[in-house]
Amino acid sequence: MAENFERADRPERPEQEMDFADEGFGDKAPRRYQRRRPRQVVPDYVDWKDVDLLRQFIPERGKIMPRRISGITAKDQRRIATAIKRARTMALLPFVFD
Amino acid sequence: MAQRTYEVMYIVDPETPADRVEKLNEAVGKVIEKEGGTIVRMDDIGRRNLAYPIEKKTEGHYVLFEIDGSGQEIAELERRMRVNDMIIRFITIRVDEDRKKAEKMRDKRETRQAKRARFRATEDSADAPVEAAA
Repeated sequence: MAENFERADRPERPEQEMDFADEGFGDKAPRRYQRRRPRQVVPDYVDWKDVDLLRQFIPERGKIMPRRISGITAKDQRRIATAIKRARTMALLPFVFD
Repeated sequence: MAQRTYEVMYIVDPETPADRVEKLNEAVGKVIEKEGGTIVRMDDIGRRNLAYPIEKKTEGHYVLFEIDGSGQEIAELERRMRVNDMIIRFITIRVDEDRKKAEKMRDKRETRQAKRARFRATEDSADAPVEAAA
């Protein structure tokens, strides 16, 4: 619960609530992050050198996109995350964007 | 002996002249072959901007090797790369397991799709009520 209050001052939240209104959840309190983005296609073999693919999963700050936003399966998320970390050690991707 | 596939990538100091980089790559190849590994692929990617500065350098010369071997040559290679001043960063990734998994997943998907296609074909030939029920 405390977590929810914390999230309240995040900028992206109002936008997402509107999304739920569009979905027509009725008078039920909209559950956060229930709706996922359309499934992104993750290849069977995630190449850690494929910077263009991995860039799709890092927003401008350089952090790895959480699963609730990316909407991919847990398995794919793990594979993407390790690939991003490998690419970071080789300076193909940044740890942080300032 | 277990046969494994590795990807070895290293970044060479951009200030080293091209012929020395070439010599270094040759030396790396020799080490691998001496220790019983085989080079599947050698790719001199060339200069690339680093995503963040390493040792105050903003550029690097990337080289990628794909090696088949037991792992012995990797130990030796890593030991040598660590003491080499020209190499500012290196990484070794074992790829055979992930590739096998990827292949399995692909095969699974293909068989599933084939099954589905067969099912659909029979559905079309059957009467309409079948589709209404589904």
